[in-house]
Amino acid sequence: MKPTISSSRGIMKWGIALTVLGLVAMVGIYLLALAYTPLEVRQGAAQKIFYVHVPAAWSAMVAFTLVGLVSILYLWLRDERLDAFAASSAEVGLVFSVIMLTTGPIWGKPIWGTWWTWDARLTLTLILFLLFVGYMTLRSAVHDPAERARFAAVVGIMGMVLVPFIHLSVYLFRTLHPMPIVLKPSSPSLPPEMLRTLLLGFLAATVLYVGFVVLRYGLARHAMAQLDEEA
Amino acid sequence: MPENAGYMIAAYIVAAVVYLVYGGSLITRALRALRSDRDILGR
Amino acid sequence: MNSWLRVAAAVAGKDIVIEVRSKTAILSAVVFAALVLIIFNFARDASLVSSSVLAPSVLWITFAFAGMIALNRGFNLEKENAALEGLLLAPVSRSAIYVGKLISNLAFVGMVEAVALPLFVLFFNVPVWGILTGLIGLIVLATIGFVAVGTLFSAMTVRTRFAELMLPMLLLPFMVPPLIGAVQTTTRMFAGRPLSEMIGWLRILALYDVVFITLCVLIFPAVVDE
Repeated sequence: MKPTISSSRGIMKWGIALTVLGLVAMVGIYLLALAYTPLEVRQGAAQKIFYVHVPAAWSAMVAFTLVGLVSILYLWLRDERLDAFAASSAEVGLVFSVIMLTTGPIWGKPIWGTWWTWDARLTLTLILFLLFVGYMTLRSAVHDPAERARFAAVVGIMGMVLVPFIHLSVYLFRTLHPMPIVLKPSSPSLPPEMLRTLLLGFLAATVLYVGFVVLRYGLARHAMAQLDEEA
Repeated sequence: MPENAGYMIAAYIVAAVVYLVYGGSLITRALRALRSDRDILGR
Repeated sequence: MNSWLRVAAAVAGKDIVIEVRSKTAILSAVVFAALVLIIFNFARDASLVSSSVLAPSVLWITFAFAGMIALNRGFNLEKENAALEGLLLAPVSRSAIYVGKLISNLAFVGMVEAVALPLFVLFFNVPVWGILTGLIGLIVLATIGFVAVGTLFSAMTVRTRFAELMLPMLLLPFMVPPLIGAVQTTTRMFAGRPLSEMIGWLRILALYDVVFITLCVLIFPAVVDE
């Protein structure tokens, strides 16, 4: 379906509203994490990175999973809106994985005693991050919009199938070569303040994901509508 | 200051900067697009 | 089914004929593999790290990079004179074209590996006679996986700008599981460990091959059909 200027204006306005809402919610999480949650005994304040790191990781995984699922739908239905959504979700996923990949090592340094460990989840995120950088580069290297959409969808689907293989092989690799883990970063049961803050963190990160994607999608549709109008 | 507070502050600042820079750039681009439409179409 | 096989064989056959006649690509890939092996020998402190410790990684990094060079060539052949468009106009199954391309790429990468393996044994002084069958089986198993993915991706990247950079960028993440599995298994083979310590990795490699060949066959039409 062809985009129109007026419909994309509506999407952008929603996107701005949701993004602002998400950013405000994130400020709320910061305040809760600093003032409401208790100080963890062994890790001290470093444990509070948890409330920023884990929700960002969640949103990154949601973003990349949706790229894969929507790519399947695109190859089936060939609707350019699906492609615009996949591109938006991939870009936003990169933003969230940057946060996961920076806050992760900052948390790891005092707890594991090293900035980087080849932990299965950290490694998987790094490889996924690089794969989606490749996805975005591929998009920018193809001129024809329909061809760009098909190629991107192929990489999106292939990437989704790759995830379990990487996770499994990195996991097996690591268990055979134990890493210098000083303390286990997670405890099995969280105090209620921690759990509540984490769940609200998931909510805030999800709202922020939706806001970013809607806004990015609206911008893409707007640019397309403008091109159509000029033509 | 509690133990390891420096790491926490560093991580919080990094995350906040990334969110604000990306969100801010998207919002700026959207506002500019909304404004330019109004100029052209007289809406 | 019979005609499907003939199409696949024809596509593979013509590529192999072109390669055998020109020899440029295979020669450059072989020289490249030899150079990588030589550089690796000097990229270590000989007094601290013995070559046998490094050998499995060296072998697989060499194969991966040489394979990448070989794969970049695969669809470049078709780009000249718009040969791919001609091939696609023919009323033949797309999956047969993909499988034909896969076979020719496998033959090509296999040839490079066949030259690089003796060089590797020579340079790194690894005793392979006892485990040669197993090692070749492992090489086949791991190579099929990343060549299958690389064949699909090179059909796309060849139609983009910076094709020579695009392919490694997309393909290297997909090489992670086969390379981890291959290096782990090779290390155990060189150390003379029993099969039971390798079977888990071999299963993962085999599963990777089956899953990705199936997926690539299914998805290839989306790459080439408008």
